Amino acid sequence: MNGDISKVWLVDKKTGGLVEASLYDGITEAHLKDVEKSWMPKLRSELQRLRATGRPHPQSSHWNWRDKVEHMRGLLAYRGFAVVHEGHTQGLMLVKTTHPCRLPIQRGKPLVYVDYLETAPWNQRELVMQPQFGGIGLVMLAAAITLSREEGFAGRIGLHSLPQAVKFYENCGMTNLGSDPSKQGLPYFEMTPEQVAAFLEK
Amino acid sequence: MGGKKTMTLNLTEPEMKVLEELSLKKDLSKTAVIRQALRLYQLVDVRLTEGGKLFIESADKNEKAELMVL
Repeated sequence: MNGDISKVWLVDKKTGGLVEASLYDGITEAHLKDVEKSWMPKLRSELQRLRATGRPHPQSSHWNWRDKVEHMRGLLAYRGFAVVHEGHTQGLMLVKTTHPCRLPIQRGKPLVYVDYLETAPWNQRELVMQPQFGGIGLVMLAAAITLSREEGFAGRIGLHSLPQAVKFYENCGMTNLGSDPSKQGLPYFEMTPEQVAAFLEK
Repeated sequence: MGGKKTMTLNLTEPEMKVLEELSLKKDLSKTAVIRQALRLYQLVDVRLTEGGKLFIESADKNEKAELMVL
């Protein structure tokens, strides 16, 4: 954890305007406590509501962020990021810096692998009728790209997508390499330096 | 990024050759190769200390051998 904080912008879904938020290079105890105090009660109540209506629940709803952060604590290969706005954690991401690329044109070169990325329950379209803030996924992908460039990986990133997020990553310009049997059949995505340039220009 | 410290690294000719080859192959600076090696070594060491094992499987999947790491 480097502890750097930088300014980022989210979309206020009510007004459509931009709001200033903070991107933390590192997931702190305060972020984890916020997940437990704010995310979990909201998640539980919304899941109960979804069950009653028979609608599908978000595929990340079983994730335990404290366990994930504990698992990577002290390991140089992992990095965590958090987006905070209005005193609340709006999104979390864990990345790994020891993964090789799979796309033939960059196979074997290192990339930043996005292990986990999740937004707060009140920002998830699958959970709430009117999400509060948008753009968290884009901010996190941009953070992963920045890290990739800092590490000398030319911006290359990769990730396995949950089925509900496939469209988002396709819209970001990532290449879908298809279902990965070694990762419960989840589709694997990768971004080349050229795709990174196009993504950052948008 | 956090603050960085500089050190002098003494390598033999063959070690430097390997470092240069990896640097070229992986499209990384020599410093980045060393940093990647350190990350991987720590990751493997921690997992082995926890009781995990590291295996290398041949491309045809016919052979699988445990990799012993110091």
